[in-house]
Amino acid sequence: MDFYLGLLQVIGVHTLLGLSAYCVLLTGQVSLAQAGFFAIGAYVAGIFTVLAHWPLVPALGASAVVTGAVACAVGFPALRVKGLMLVVATIAFGEAVRLFFFNFTYQVQTGTLHLGPHGAEGFRQIRYFPEHGWSTFDVMLFIWTVVAVVMAALWWLDSSRAGAVLRAVGEDELAAQSSGISVTAVKVSAMTIGGVIAGIGGGIFAHYTTHIEHTQFGVGLAAFAIAYPILGGLSNVFGTLLAVIFIQGFLIEGLRFMGDWRNLLFGGLIVLAMNIRPRGLLDAGAVQALKRLLFSNRERSGA
Amino acid sequence: MLDLQGVSKHFGGVRAVDGLDLTVARGEILGLIGPNGSGKSTIVNLICGLFPLTSGRIIFDGTDMSDAPIHTRVTCGVARTFQNIRLFGQLTVWQNLWVAQNSGQQRSQNFVRRWFGGSRGAREEIERTLEFFDLAHKCDELAGNLAFGEQRRLEFARALSAKPTLLLLDEPAAGMNAEEIDQLDSRIRKMQQDGITVLLIEHHMELVMSVADRIAVLNFGQKIAEGTPAAVQAHPLVREAYLGTTATA
Amino acid sequence: MNLLDLIDAVQSVADGILFGSTYALLGIGFTLIFGVMHKINLSYAAASIGAAYASLLILTVIKAPAILVFLTAAAAGGIIGYLVYLVGFKFIPLANPLATLMSTIGLLLLIDEIIVHMTAGVPLNYPALFSDVTIHVGPFSLRGDLMFVFALGCICMVVLLLVLYRTRLGLATRAVSQQPTASKLCGISTTRVNVLTFVITGVVGGIAGAMTGAAIGMLSPLLALPLTVKGLIVTVIGGLGSIPGAIIAGLVVGGLENAFQFFRGVSERDLYIMLLLFAFLVFRPGGIFAMPAGRD
Repeated sequence: MDFYLGLLQVIGVHTLLGLSAYCVLLTGQVSLAQAGFFAIGAYVAGIFTVLAHWPLVPALGASAVVTGAVACAVGFPALRVKGLMLVVATIAFGEAVRLFFFNFTYQVQTGTLHLGPHGAEGFRQIRYFPEHGWSTFDVMLFIWTVVAVVMAALWWLDSSRAGAVLRAVGEDELAAQSSGISVTAVKVSAMTIGGVIAGIGGGIFAHYTTHIEHTQFGVGLAAFAIAYPILGGLSNVFGTLLAVIFIQGFLIEGLRFMGDWRNLLFGGLIVLAMNIRPRGLLDAGAVQALKRLLFSNRERSGA
Repeated sequence: MLDLQGVSKHFGGVRAVDGLDLTVARGEILGLIGPNGSGKSTIVNLICGLFPLTSGRIIFDGTDMSDAPIHTRVTCGVARTFQNIRLFGQLTVWQNLWVAQNSGQQRSQNFVRRWFGGSRGAREEIERTLEFFDLAHKCDELAGNLAFGEQRRLEFARALSAKPTLLLLDEPAAGMNAEEIDQLDSRIRKMQQDGITVLLIEHHMELVMSVADRIAVLNFGQKIAEGTPAAVQAHPLVREAYLGTTATA
Repeated sequence: MNLLDLIDAVQSVADGILFGSTYALLGIGFTLIFGVMHKINLSYAAASIGAAYASLLILTVIKAPAILVFLTAAAAGGIIGYLVYLVGFKFIPLANPLATLMSTIGLLLLIDEIIVHMTAGVPLNYPALFSDVTIHVGPFSLRGDLMFVFALGCICMVVLLLVLYRTRLGLATRAVSQQPTASKLCGISTTRVNVLTFVITGVVGGIAGAMTGAAIGMLSPLLALPLTVKGLIVTVIGGLGSIPGAIIAGLVVGGLENAFQFFRGVSERDLYIMLLLFAFLVFRPGGIFAMPAGRD
C-alpha cells in the first residue's frame, strides 16, 4: 500500500513540474529551466524548515517567492532569445543552477549534527514529515490538495481572457502585438507563474524524499518537465496530468514487466508518440470530441 | 491626424520608402495605391511599428509615435489588418476578438475584471461586433476552421475590437468576389460614419475610387500624386506608373 | 604567477584548443541541421557517441588499425544520422516544432539507453593514434594524439566547407535553408537535401565521437549529456546556422574550458562556460556570426 501511496506522491509532484512547464509553453517559450526552478524551490524550502525551523506551508511560501523572483529575472533576458535558442539558454540556466548547488555549502551545527546543504553530498536530513508525525497518506493528501488547487487555478486562467491572451502570444507574437498585447509583460508573467509552481513542487519534493542533491535536477528532469505538457497536449491542464500518470506509471510499474528495458522503451515510446500524435494526447480536436461525447450523453439522459 | 514627415525605410541597399511626406486628415478615408513594390505595405508596417524608421518621424494625434513599441501604438488608437491574414487559428472567433480589446479606455478598467472576469460591457461589445460582421453563428468555432471570407471578416473585426481612431486596412479586398467587396465597401463607409479615420491600401481600383475621399499614389517608395480620385485618375505620372509610357522611336 | 605557471597555463589552453576541434565538429552538426531544417536535433551528440561505440564493433571481428576504426565511426554516424531523420523528423509535420523537439529528446534517451544496455554501463577503451608521440616546442609539449585529432578535425571542416560552397549539393542545401518552398519550385528535392544533410552531419558526428574517444582514451555513456550541452553552447555562441561561427566557437570554448579548469578547478569550470554563454545571450544573442534577419 505504501508503495502506491509513494507512487501517487511522485505523480503529484511531477504534475506540478509539468504544469509549470505548461504555463510557459502556452506562450510559445520552450523552457528547459523548470528543473532549475524546481531545484531552487527544493533547497529553499529545506533550508527554511530544517535550519530556520519554519512550518511547512510558510517555507513553501518562501520557496514560491524566491523561485518566482528568479523566474522573473530569467524571463527578461529570455525575451531576447528567439525560438529554439531559448532551449539552449534554458538548458544552460538549468545546468548553472545545478552546478551552483553542487558547490553550495551552508551548514549549521545543531547538537552533534551538521545540517544543511553540503555541496556534492547534497542536503540530507530534511526530516520535517517524520518529525511532525505525517504519515505517507497525510503527505499524499497534502500533495494532491496542492495539485488540485494549482490545476483549478490554471483551469480558471485558461477559461478567462488571460488564458486566451497567453495562447495568442504563443501562437503569433506579431499579431498579438498588433492587437495591442504587451508580449513582454505576458511572457515574463508566464515565466514567473511557471517558476512559482515549480518552486512549490520542488519544496514538496525535498520533504518527501528527505535527501536532495544536485544530480537529481539535471537536464533529464528538465526534459521530463516539458515532456508532460507536450505529450499530454497543450489544450488543457488535464492533458499534462494524464501524461504524468501515463509516464510515471509506465516507468515505475513497467519495472515489473520489462525490468531494465523500460528505460529503453520509454525513449522509443516518446518517439512513437510524437510521430503518431504530434499535438499530444489531449489536443484541441480530442477535447472537442470529448465535449460532444459528454454533452450529447447529458442531453439524451435529460430528455 | 496622422502625419508622416520625411519617412524613409531602407533595407540594406533597397529604399522601400524614400523621404515620404503624407498626411491623413481626421475622419477621412485615404486610399493608398501604387504598383507592386511601391512601398505600400512597408508604410503600414512603419506606421504600426513593425519596422523601425531609417529616418523621418511619424506624428499621430499630436504625439510623436516614431519610437513607440507596437502594442502602445494600438493603445493610442492605431489598429491594422494584415494582408495575409494573421488570425489566432487555435483560438475561437470569440477569443480572437476578446484578446484584442486593448484600447486605452479598456485598459483603464479594473485589472482583475479585465483579465479574469467577464465584464458585461466587454461581452456586449464583442456580440455587437460579431453581429456587424455576420459572424455571430460561428463565435465558438476555431478561427483556423473558418472559410476564407469569414477569416477576412474576422481579421477586420479584430482590428476594430481595440476601438481604434485610425484604422489601417492592408489590401482587405484581396481574394474577394464582387458581393463580398460590396459588403466591404459599405462596412468601410460605416467606419467613417462612426468617426474612424481609415487608411486603405488596395489594388482593387473600383473599391478605392468608390470609397476614398482622397488618394495618394506611390511608386518606388515615393509619392507621385495626391488628390481626389478623379484628379488622380487623370494624372500623367500615375498613368505612366501603371500603364507605362509609349516608346519613342 | 611565475613563468612556470604561465607556461603551464598556455600549455593547458593549447591542449584545450586542440580538443576544441571536437566541440567545433559537434557545433557544426547542430548548426547545419538548424540551418537547413530550422529544428534542433538534441540527440546529435548522443548519436555521435553511439557511432563511436558502433565503430568498436569492428574490433570484435578483426584486429583493425585505429584509422579503420575511425572510418567505421564515420560510416556508422552516417547510418545513424539517416535513422534519426527517418524516426525523428520525416513523419512529423514541419509546423510542429515542439513535437520534433520532443522526439529528438526521446531519441537522446533511447540512444543513451541502448549504449548502457550493450555495454552494461562500463566505459570502454578507445583506440588513439600517435598517443606515444610528443612534439616538443620549446618549453611546451604537444601531445601527438591531440594533434592528430585536431588535424583530422580540420580536414573534416575543410572538406565540409568545400562540399557546401563548391558543389551543387552544397548549393542546394544552402538554397533549402534560405527558402524551402522556393527551392521546391526550382526543382530541388527538399526531402533529398534533408536526408543528405542528416547523413553528412551524421558522418561528421561520427568523426567527432571517434575523436572524443581518441582524445580521452575511452568512451562512456556519461559523455552524451555534457557533450550535448557543450555542443549546443558552441552552436549558440558561434551563431545558429553559421559554420565558421561554430568552428571558431568550438576552438574558443575548448581553450577557455581548460583555462578555467587551470585557474579555478574542475568543479567551477563549467559554471564559467555557462556565464560565457549568458554573456553572449545578453550582449550578442545572434552569436559571433549572426544569421542576417530577413524582411519577413
